[in-house]
Amino acid sequence: MSLLKLEALSKKFGDHWALRDIEFSINPGEIVGLVGPNGAGKTTMFNLITGRHKPSSGRVLFADKDITHCKPHEIRRLGISRTFQSSRPFAKMSTLKNVVAGRIFSTDFDLFTRPSDIETAAQLLELVGIAHKAKLPAGELTLSEQRRLDLARALATQPRLLLLDEVAAGFSPVAVKQAVELVLRVRERGVTLFIIDHFLTLSLRVSDRLLALDRGEKVAEGSPQEVMRNREVIRAYLGMRRKDE
Amino acid sequence: MRKEAVISKGLRHVHLVQAALLLGFFLLLLLPVLTGYSDYILQVFTHALLLATLALAWNILGASGAISLGHAAFFGVGAYGSALLSHDLGFSPWFTIPLGGFLATTVALIVGFLCLRLRGAYFALATLAFVEIPKVITDNWDGLTRGSLGLVGLPGLPTLRLGSYSLDISGSPVGSYYFVLCYALVLVSVVTLIFRSNLGLALQAIREEEIAAQAVGIQVQRYRILSLLVSGFFTGIGGALYAHLIRYVEPGLVYGLHFSAVPMIFAICGGRFTILGPALAALILYPLDQFIFHPLAPAGHEFLYGAIIILTILFMPAGFWGHLRKGQLVSIKTGSIE
Ligand SMILES: Nc1ncnc2c1ncn2[C@@H]1O[C@H](COP(=O)(O)OP(=O)(O)OP(=O)(O)O)[C@@H](O)[C@H]1O
Ligand SMILES: [Mg+2]
Repeated sequence: MSLLKLEALSKKFGDHWALRDIEFSINPGEIVGLVGPNGAGKTTMFNLITGRHKPSSGRVLFADKDITHCKPHEIRRLGISRTFQSSRPFAKMSTLKNVVAGRIFSTDFDLFTRPSDIETAAQLLELVGIAHKAKLPAGELTLSEQRRLDLARALATQPRLLLLDEVAAGFSPVAVKQAVELVLRVRERGVTLFIIDHFLTLSLRVSDRLLALDRGEKVAEGSPQEVMRNREVIRAYLGMRRKDE
Repeated sequence: MRKEAVISKGLRHVHLVQAALLLGFFLLLLLPVLTGYSDYILQVFTHALLLATLALAWNILGASGAISLGHAAFFGVGAYGSALLSHDLGFSPWFTIPLGGFLATTVALIVGFLCLRLRGAYFALATLAFVEIPKVITDNWDGLTRGSLGLVGLPGLPTLRLGSYSLDISGSPVGSYYFVLCYALVLVSVVTLIFRSNLGLALQAIREEEIAAQAVGIQVQRYRILSLLVSGFFTGIGGALYAHLIRYVEPGLVYGLHFSAVPMIFAICGGRFTILGPALAALILYPLDQFIFHPLAPAGHEFLYGAIIILTILFMPAGFWGHLRKGQLVSIKTGSIE
């Protein structure tokens, strides 16, 4: 059984197809990389899966349940979390509280935060390596720290499927190495990962499979080696397209 | 070494602020004695306290990031609801004041359905326009409301007796003062509960980054409407109290801009996202206006509010109380105070 299944998924903005007839599925426990040049439709795919945008046609199935028409918070509750391409911290909240917020609203509503929620949040900050910034307002973190915070907050929701949108963009080689370890540790916790990675810095090292998009269409799918050898993918990345394409 | 210095400076600052708050509270408690039971001073502070409760109530919605220019709708409906129920049907004000609150909540529900899909300035303008609806209805439904003439001779609040001691709530300025003070304390507790609980956390998440709030599973619309309903409820209660304290209602008065704009101004000036800021601003600025600016410039004294709102937005966007509390952030940063 696949954990996530996209069936003929399409999204049109005006008369521009951001995604067209995508068929794809992800198995539990996999790490799948989503690659493609700018504007390929990667973020749009995440927006459709998480209910932020509604598809023009097609379906999204999660653990065999049709979630195409669910609201973002419902999808979150079913077990899908995401990070954002440009991080969206709650800027004036402390870093720790950001993560606490991720934790609290993923379960049944409690009027007050339990100490165990704060403890879990602190552990997650430790995991992503920004525990020393716990008391700072999140808006004062550097961009790469905000990325880590985004990740910790998403993990706090205890997802079954985690969508990462360019988490490692702009990371130094050292930071990328840490990110690789982090992703693998997250998988060990039983989380399935779907990772957008335009520059392939992260996904080539961790992915079991890659999905390549170009201008809204699926151009290749398979092991990282296969996909990177694919002529369509190379052409898309190098921008060598014939005019009539 | 330097870090410790920062901590102790932060701590001293916190203590100073707390001491000032405590002092202010005792001044309020003893105000009748301190002012020699001056009717005029007590009346001004009673109205300041009422405005403080309205600013606190306004701020419950304000915490979601929304700015309402139409809270007079809830105030007026609460006032008229309680006035008519007690005057025409003879119910006790103790009973009709909460009913006025619930009527205002119903109106808030309508506002929610009509306006809460809007954000920012669009929401503000929609609420401003909305006030006209209950106002026009009240103005023109003569058979029920007596129209624009208003309604006089409303029942006041009864005299409370505790042994040999009695307090005439509506009949004496001291009684009115203490009654509204008690209500203000209740509302401060309610707001504290909301802001300090996970409700407050949800509202903060929504106002700071709505898309991320959704993504962590917060039901954004549900919290926004909830904050509007609670805010409308307490504004309605405020309107009802007002009606029974002055024992008189009139559409132009209770649906007037005064009750939409002034609580908002106090909330913004004191600090929209703080618990006490809105109330403190009301207790400082309204008496300042009445005792100093009104005698100086009887025709244009409300200029004060205009000037204050501009100065706040320009120099202290977090409001003065929010600004003062930033001193505490220093110590939060270094980890000494939660
Ligand atoms: N909300 C929107 N309204 C209109 N067009 C949009 C919207 N979101 C995305 N698009 C368009 O859809 C296409 C795909 O965008 P998308 O953000 O999914 O690309 P991407 O693969 O994530 O690219 P990048 O690497 O730059 O992040 C682009 O042409 C973009 O302009
Ligand atoms: Mg993108």
